[in-house]
Amino acid sequence: MNLQPQSEPPLVQMIDIEKHFGGIRAVNGVSLDLYPGEVVGVLGHNGAGKSCLMRILSGAMIPNEGSIKVHGDKADIQNPHDARDLGIETIYQTLALADHLNAPSNLFLGRELKTRIGNLDDAKMMSETVRVLKKLNPNFKNLNDPVSSLSGGQRQVIAIARAIYFDVKILIMDEPTAALGPSETAMVGELIKKLRAEGIGILLVSHDMHDVFELCDRVIVMNKGKDVGSHRIEDVTKDDVLSLIIKGELPHDWVPRSQEKNNEH
Amino acid sequence: MADLDRGAVPASWTFKPSAASFHKLTALLTLALLIFAFSFGNDAFFTVNNGLTVLLQTSVIGLLGIGMTLVILTRGIDLSVGSVLALSGVMTGLSVKAGIPVAPAMTIGVLTGAACGLVNGFVITKMRITPFVATLGMMLIARGLALQLTGAAPISRLGESFGALGNGSLLRIVEKTGGIFPKVVFPGIPYPVILLAIVAFVAAYLLNRRQTGRHIYATGSNEEAARLSGVLVDRTKMIAYTLSGALAGLAGNVLMSRLVTVQPNEGVMYELDAIAAAVIGGASLMGGVGNISGTMIGAFIIGVLRNGLNMAGVSAFIQQIVIGVIVILAVYVDQVRNRR
Repeated sequence: MNLQPQSEPPLVQMIDIEKHFGGIRAVNGVSLDLYPGEVVGVLGHNGAGKSCLMRILSGAMIPNEGSIKVHGDKADIQNPHDARDLGIETIYQTLALADHLNAPSNLFLGRELKTRIGNLDDAKMMSETVRVLKKLNPNFKNLNDPVSSLSGGQRQVIAIARAIYFDVKILIMDEPTAALGPSETAMVGELIKKLRAEGIGILLVSHDMHDVFELCDRVIVMNKGKDVGSHRIEDVTKDDVLSLIIKGELPHDWVPRSQEKNNEH
Repeated sequence: MADLDRGAVPASWTFKPSAASFHKLTALLTLALLIFAFSFGNDAFFTVNNGLTVLLQTSVIGLLGIGMTLVILTRGIDLSVGSVLALSGVMTGLSVKAGIPVAPAMTIGVLTGAACGLVNGFVITKMRITPFVATLGMMLIARGLALQLTGAAPISRLGESFGALGNGSLLRIVEKTGGIFPKVVFPGIPYPVILLAIVAFVAAYLLNRRQTGRHIYATGSNEEAARLSGVLVDRTKMIAYTLSGALAGLAGNVLMSRLVTVQPNEGVMYELDAIAAAVIGGASLMGGVGNISGTMIGAFIIGVLRNGLNMAGVSAFIQQIVIGVIVILAVYVDQVRNRR
């Protein structure tokens, strides 16, 4: 496990974020740092506020309080457009695909390639899509079909391709493997490792403890809108994390696992 | 893995026509069938003159239908086009009466339509009123304004040049015979038909080749996905409604020019013809599906049907029934095919 590269500034700092809907505090004073080449698992029950926190970073939601810094500079993220301009890409659980459009149109949606006179450059978008998708899934066909006719795995591949094609610095993945079979899940795991090696920061929202322990460097656990624990993955066991998720606290006899090992020596 | 379900399908299967092109084919066949049937019924139907009459009669619905298609593609509806058509005509008429030359006066009319559309877009996107209610409101407002401004009386004596757009034609060939009336060799292509062709071409270009068009489809297909992808959904909808309003204004000018009189109560229920044209042409009210060529076919099906039934002496009431049945059949055929 690589140590947190403290010399570098964090890619993202979310500082004291608050979001409430009426009287409900969905996110209650949560802060989060993400460093280059780091995978941070964002965990919690449904309704714990983790999706809300992610939506704030991706520009889909505007917080009531708190600030966000990207590369150390204060970022004003008003909508998904702003977030993408800052290199923040999101793979949504719902995939966020326009069903009637084909794969290239979805991949380039909102950032269409154009010819010199401003027409859509569909030929270029198609060839680029072929290039990107071949890397992720060599069997990919049906590029001209509306994506509604594709399988869940193919749709997921398009959503992933869309996030990594452009100059991604910070990748938010919301349950990226929920709709996938085993081999595709393994593909996503490999992809995460590759992106991490390239210095991209990844926030992984997942319920799958196996994925979390396999892929994450760190976890942040949310419960009822609060950050109830942020730990390096080697300091906690699955039981510790489950205790944080369910009860909002660590087991009473918890000591960091890495120190525990040291004590044994 | 991902391709298992598709891989089992034989390769030839992929050559099946897409849902959209299948629908268009059906609609085209229907149109051809109608023309064929009416030609048998009446010798005067399949003539150049009558063909041009149908084109002329269809141009107003065609213009409204194009605007309606843009709006329906965003999963919206514009019930105000019939009233906006009247208000735009009234504004043009009043401008001419105020001494403004016809061309700028007509521009004022079109801009009035665009302004109504912009208000529709604003109410829908910023005030978050559903398109049905927002444009229903505008339908009443625009009609009320048109009637109020004119005292519900027609504006006439607008001068000969006011009628040029609706009654003039290109390439008209006449032969001097020495008699009182010259012999008309070719009646010419009416200006409204040329206008419709240009607008249809530009709208199809917008939808197929421009980013705005792509965003219109995306917004109607999955608004949330479009928004999350960075599409400025509100702006896209504003553009669609504004264009629909402007085209209603243009249609108003064409219609009033043809009558050489401004009628503040013209265009009642035209929005329904426009919706019917789009739906017969394969547009889905659920958004994201439809195109201009389909809507043109739909408009001509309605136009040919009206004209043919008129020539066959069928009453206007029966015509309504027939068109109503066709709208339902068109949607039914589409659904049966999609369910498969």
